[in-house]
Amino acid sequence: MAAMFSQNPVMNGPNYSFSDAPRTANGEFREHRFNPYSDNGGSTLAIAGADFTIVAGDTRSTSGYSINSRYTPKVFKIGGTTSSQDDATILLSVVGFAADGEALRDRLDAICKIYRYRHGKPMSVTACAKRLSTILYQKRFFPYYVHAILGGLDEEGKGAVFSYDPVGSYEREQCRAGGAAASLITPFLDNQVNFKNQYVPGSGTGHDLKEREVVPLVRRDAEILVKDAFDGAVERHIEVGDGLQMMTITKDGIEEVLLPLKRD
Amino acid sequence: MFMARSEYDRGINTFSPEGRLFQVEYSLEAIKLGSTAIGVATSEGVILGVEKRVTSTLLETSSVEKIVEIDRHIGCAMSGLQADARSMVEHARVESQSHAFNYAEPLRVESATQAICDLALRFGEGADGEETVMSRPFGVALLIAGYDEDGPQLYHAEPSGTFYRYDAKAIGSGSEGAQAELQNEYHKSLTIEDAETLVLKTLKQVMEEKLDSKNVQLASVTKGKGFRIYTDEEMAVVVERLPAN
Amino acid sequence: MDHRPQAWGRPRDDVYGAYDASFMNPNGPNQATQSPIVTGTSVVAIKFSEGVVIAADNLASYGSLARFTDVKRLRTFADSTVIGFGGDVSDMQYLDRHLTSLAIDESYSAPSLDSDAGGPPKARLNAANLHKYLAKLLYARRSKFDPLWNHLLVAGLDDDDKPFLAAADLLGTTFSAPSLATGFGSMLAQPIMRRFAPDEEAAARLTREQAVDVVKQCMKVLFYRDARSLDSYSIAVVTKDGVDLKENEKLENQSWAFAERIRGYGTQTA
Repeated sequence: MAAMFSQNPVMNGPNYSFSDAPRTANGEFREHRFNPYSDNGGSTLAIAGADFTIVAGDTRSTSGYSINSRYTPKVFKIGGTTSSQDDATILLSVVGFAADGEALRDRLDAICKIYRYRHGKPMSVTACAKRLSTILYQKRFFPYYVHAILGGLDEEGKGAVFSYDPVGSYEREQCRAGGAAASLITPFLDNQVNFKNQYVPGSGTGHDLKEREVVPLVRRDAEILVKDAFDGAVERHIEVGDGLQMMTITKDGIEEVLLPLKRD
Repeated sequence: MFMARSEYDRGINTFSPEGRLFQVEYSLEAIKLGSTAIGVATSEGVILGVEKRVTSTLLETSSVEKIVEIDRHIGCAMSGLQADARSMVEHARVESQSHAFNYAEPLRVESATQAICDLALRFGEGADGEETVMSRPFGVALLIAGYDEDGPQLYHAEPSGTFYRYDAKAIGSGSEGAQAELQNEYHKSLTIEDAETLVLKTLKQVMEEKLDSKNVQLASVTKGKGFRIYTDEEMAVVVERLPAN
Repeated sequence: MDHRPQAWGRPRDDVYGAYDASFMNPNGPNQATQSPIVTGTSVVAIKFSEGVVIAADNLASYGSLARFTDVKRLRTFADSTVIGFGGDVSDMQYLDRHLTSLAIDESYSAPSLDSDAGGPPKARLNAANLHKYLAKLLYARRSKFDPLWNHLLVAGLDDDDKPFLAAADLLGTTFSAPSLATGFGSMLAQPIMRRFAPDEEAAARLTREQAVDVVKQCMKVLFYRDARSLDSYSIAVVTKDGVDLKENEKLENQSWAFAERIRGYGTQTA
């Protein structure tokens, strides 16, 4: 009788503990159905030369099979002192989840600006590269879902490309392709930048074959390579196309060109 | 010793009508009671020197630590309340390590100095409920020596939170006489050895005790070796080199 | 009988079971929006030479039920910008309140009357500003796992008084294009609009009349094919001269003749 009028929860009714969290029909905890990530497609590519670095990306933004926009840049100037970033010396490309990419870009740019105020000098690419790694790792358990590539000139004026996984693992490389068509572009780059599977004719057979000597690319050749890589990617990947944004860093600054890609 | 300066010297964060913070000014006085410390910057590196006041023959002189390392490329000498210097140095060490971790490069000497000075005015009541770190200003001044991409540098940091870069600077009880001596003797083409001698020679003039290799300490910051505290043997060599008076 | 004041006015336990107060209990997981409830469908918009045309129908659906048939999903802010909301209607109303108060606050801090021009002060909060603000808000909410379940289009002018059109969704993703459409519109309306404005240059050659015609055509196609749409809609034209918003437009010249030619499902046998 007492239990009948009691304000206390009944035995099989709702209770006041964590065990009352919503459950699915088969007894599992019902988790948030909201998925905070999406994939906006696209591809990026960076090549380091002897005294220049090219960072490029297509400008298509997708959601599933739909094209959101034909012009959504993925390559950004970082660490300039003006809103136009005219005097920037570092490039960041981000591909994957575009909202995370932009958040990451804004954050790195703000950190570069504060660094300049605090230490009275612009951040070097190597310093920026390490910092980007720690930024990504700080969100190890809710990562920025992006493949980031950082480009610039190192302290000796040599081209430098750093590539990252979403949680901050990074490496300096001669070249790197990222995003949807990375697997299509990478073997092309292996062959054309690092001369993989290229041998000196008549130098022997089997293991005696001499590998072709690797020499840094000249800028014009690298630019043609980038365009060819993307033309190939556009042909074979539906998420790549519309426009090619190509930025080149030299000691004189950053040049940007926008080339058309197929829009189909 | 001092004239009572009115009630404005009690509130830690209260300006006097003439616009002065007496407690901060008093802290500068505290440093004048401290042992003398001298820094000399040359094109090859920076030399720091301090006098250890050996107040008892039973005192183990090696336990008097007035020159400490902040990072491999930065060190500092102190004068005043040594205990206060501990928290400043600790802060600078953390800042330096954090910079190296985040940017894979050494912290600049000026930035390390700025980091220390950022602490200086965090006394008294916080503005809106922010945590108060100290109840009074620091009672110690630092000579911060380091080597970075801009070469060897020497900074002087005060309890007021201001800092300046010097070619040669003396702090502590003998600072007035020592600074005058440095003024006369300093020139841009000093070598490291010259600087060692100049520091000790100057200390000798202002010290009450008779200078020997036990009651002074030298340290250097150079490009090749970074920050180094001189060993007893090295100290003996430099002291030996001093002209007898 | 339970005489404790806590029990007054409560359903009787013996009849209705113990009251489930767990929703008031802070002890336990918070439940954020996991799916939208009352929803609006597509928003379509296209740029033209002097501004932007934007439209959305006046329906708020409750699942497949056409629940509210007079809900205005185009909202004007700071007399300079129209935002079209797709997705959850209550989140739209929250954003509406939030942005309205933002626009009011901002108008107070605007510079005083422009004495040279003699006109009203230039709106400081333009479409580009509002879009950036909304994108950051939506991204912050998705990062808290408590998203505002909307996909919205922002139409107006940018800092240089050029036509501005951009989208932001519940994840904080943003993009801008000469024409944009949310939801079903991205499949049905966008191809039509892209025929008229394939790129920025083409959009800059469109006249206001052309742009309005294209958008009206899109609304009609959407009504034909989107089961969660309505023939009553709002359409706004944003230019330098301000916002021209019509909230009770009706689709004109409908022709369902095409329906007869559709084969393959329904009642036909051949």
